Amino acid sequence: MKDFVFPGRLRRTARALVAAMVPRWDDFDKDLTDEVLDEVEALVREMPLFNQIGLSLMLTGLEFAGGPLTLDGLRPLSSLEHARVVERIERLADHPVPQVRMLPMLLGTLISFSAYSREDVEQFLGLPRRAWRRDRKALRDRLVQLDAGRPAPAPPTPLGGAPEVTPETYLLFEDERAHHRPDAGQEAG
Amino acid sequence: MSPRTIVEPHHTRGDLYLSCDVVIVGSGAGGATVAATLAEAGHDVLVLEEGGHYATEAYTANIPEMLGKIMRDGGGTVAFGRSPVPYLEAKCVGGTTVVNGGMCWRTPEKILDEWSERGLVDLGAKALDRHFTEVEETINARHQDPGSHGGVNDRFYEGATALGWKLSRNRRNQVHCVGSNDCVTGCPSGAKQSTLQSWLPRFWAAGGRLHTHTRVEKIVTRRGRAVGVSGTLLDPYKKRRFTVRARAVVIACGAVQTPLLLQRNKLGRECGHVGKHFTIHPNVKVAALFDEPVNSLRGTHQAFQCTEFIDEGILLAPGAIPLGFMTAMFPIFGSRLAEKLRRDHRHIATGGVLVDDFAEGYIKTLPFGIPLVRYDVTDVDQGKFVRAAARLAELYFAAGAREVYTAFHHHAVIESPDAIKKLYADPPRVEDTEYFTAHLMGTCRMSADPHDGVVDPDGQMWDVPGLYLADASIMPGTIGVNPQVTIMALARLVAERLDARLGRGAGAHSVSMARPAA
Ligand SMILES: Cc1cc2nc3c(=O)[nH]c(=O)nc-3n(C[C@H](O)[C@H](O)[C@H](O)COP(=O)(O)OP(=O)(O)OC[C@H]3O[C@@H](n4cnc5c(N)ncnc54)[C@H](O)[C@@H]3O)c2cc1C
Ligand code: SF4
Repeated sequence: MKDFVFPGRLRRTARALVAAMVPRWDDFDKDLTDEVLDEVEALVREMPLFNQIGLSLMLTGLEFAGGPLTLDGLRPLSSLEHARVVERIERLADHPVPQVRMLPMLLGTLISFSAYSREDVEQFLGLPRRAWRRDRKALRDRLVQLDAGRPAPAPPTPLGGAPEVTPETYLLFEDERAHHRPDAGQEAG
Repeated sequence: MSPRTIVEPHHTRGDLYLSCDVVIVGSGAGGATVAATLAEAGHDVLVLEEGGHYATEAYTANIPEMLGKIMRDGGGTVAFGRSPVPYLEAKCVGGTTVVNGGMCWRTPEKILDEWSERGLVDLGAKALDRHFTEVEETINARHQDPGSHGGVNDRFYEGATALGWKLSRNRRNQVHCVGSNDCVTGCPSGAKQSTLQSWLPRFWAAGGRLHTHTRVEKIVTRRGRAVGVSGTLLDPYKKRRFTVRARAVVIACGAVQTPLLLQRNKLGRECGHVGKHFTIHPNVKVAALFDEPVNSLRGTHQAFQCTEFIDEGILLAPGAIPLGFMTAMFPIFGSRLAEKLRRDHRHIATGGVLVDDFAEGYIKTLPFGIPLVRYDVTDVDQGKFVRAAARLAELYFAAGAREVYTAFHHHAVIESPDAIKKLYADPPRVEDTEYFTAHLMGTCRMSADPHDGVVDPDGQMWDVPGLYLADASIMPGTIGVNPQVTIMALARLVAERLDARLGRGAGAHSVSMARPAA
């Protein structure tokens, strides 16, 4: 379904789950719940109907069966406060039945992928990944420019029969060096 | 006006009726290699690709956005079994080579010898050598530039060296990889030489045409021979149809989609092998916490592999991944996960073990065309996983790790080198292990005997003249190393054979390969 959104009660469960799972630090004052929920929904939209139904069933299972399965009472997940939701999820992730453990792991992964690849979160953690990528692209563009007119190096010896790395050769890159000698490109490798 | 080389839905109107010498379905490792080879040989070649075309700038740092854009089913693909095994297949121009780690291994000679002994004499090391060489040159299989490794790879190197274990420096298909550590969501620098940067430019330069957003659903046959394909043009505004007539049809949709397409078309049923013999080189992740920062943000995905245990079918490898993916390493959530990552993310090195599997799964089409992908890790392979994870833990401790994280439920954290013994004393079950895989193979295997596989040694289906397969599905078995070079070399071989046949009428099985009359 290309216009998929979690319907009614399921959205409440999904929201409770996301709210409990998004990162919260005392000195990070953003609540990411709604944005992450939107992103999760957008990703689920790309999945086939079969997976969408599967995910909806998993959410329903977490909402109503999570409590009994973890001996944590009958209250549905969406009626619990954040800390209790996390506690219940972690108990499910430690459940003796492997299929039960899968539920929180799968849903948790979906949420964490979104939450922890956000620019604001990465920035807060001191991981300026977007800036790093830009910097790397610029560096590579320069390297490629420097290469212009030079012959490409031949591929090094095939692996399998390849010389192995030793402490002495670890940082020696003969083949690449040869590449930078304009007359040696063909012999490299 | 010269024809466009990349045709998007908005470049055309209405339903499409096309013709060519060879139509190739899929533009990944196998499809793009066949396409370039045949186009350069002078044939009129058309590639149909279900996904879109994304240039370097389109690969962003937003993981869910990229999963939605370039992965099949948004990355939510799973092989069901004793323990589910998530896997990834890309759906874009360049196929899975766009998202792969770039490791370039030739098929080990031992494996090629085995295949030759099974009658596939053209797959011997000598016979394939020139194909391997052509592949490696085209995709720029090289060592990393100095300085691009990063801490995750350096820690791995130090551990293996301290233990005196054999290391192999990876050749990767890259030109000046600058270690952005983003391989899984598409290279943001243009360094990775996926087919989008290697075989496809050759294909386009030779006059080939590629249509994006074209999902092939039907393989058209006439009197038992393949004569074209048809399907849906995934135009966002209006569903449209396309039909292509061709002298030969090459299917290269990958080891899951190819058998599904054949099954939905009820092709290859006689041989009984379509969708069987599914091998996946399962992985389990192992990570380690160090006192000193590792800085996984910086550095390439994988610069080395430890080959000390390759004879046991075990490869150990580092595997740098972005933070978003790192979260899946820990069975903790919410604020506990947030605190852990805030404290430790700079100090965590990620890696994993790859096992050459003995088990075979299968791909099946259920009613309404629903795919079922099934794979059960066996207890024998699980034994290898336990040994492999224990050794990787040993390696990390030798490199100075404070603790090691595993994918085994009851042994999620190993606190000291001494505690590794617990893995052997109380070995985790398959059901208590989280796997992952990136290598899908063998579901329409090549065979010398028509009763033993789906395609003949030329890549042509035993049961359907004119229908060729050229992707990971035709691999005659598991190889124990990363497969893209093998797939490309096999595709090159298939293309060469098809080129020869097209000269003298496509689809003529030589007498010795003919299927005996039923
Ligand atoms: C995360 C990851 C890391 C990897 N790392 C490595 C590595 O380091 N080294 C290595 O050797 N291998 C690696 N691999 C594996 C390697 O990339 C694949 O084995 C290889 O790309 C498979 O080639 P293929 O031709 O079989 O299929 P693909 O490359 O997947 O191409 C199939 C193409 O067919 C298209 N298609 C499918 N169905 C249809 C249809 N019905 N109509 C039209 N088009 C269709 C798909 O969209 C896709 O583009 C990795 C894989 C992954 C997922
Ligand atoms: S590490 Fe970064 S630069 Fe290198 S190939 Fe992978 S994505 Fe490209």
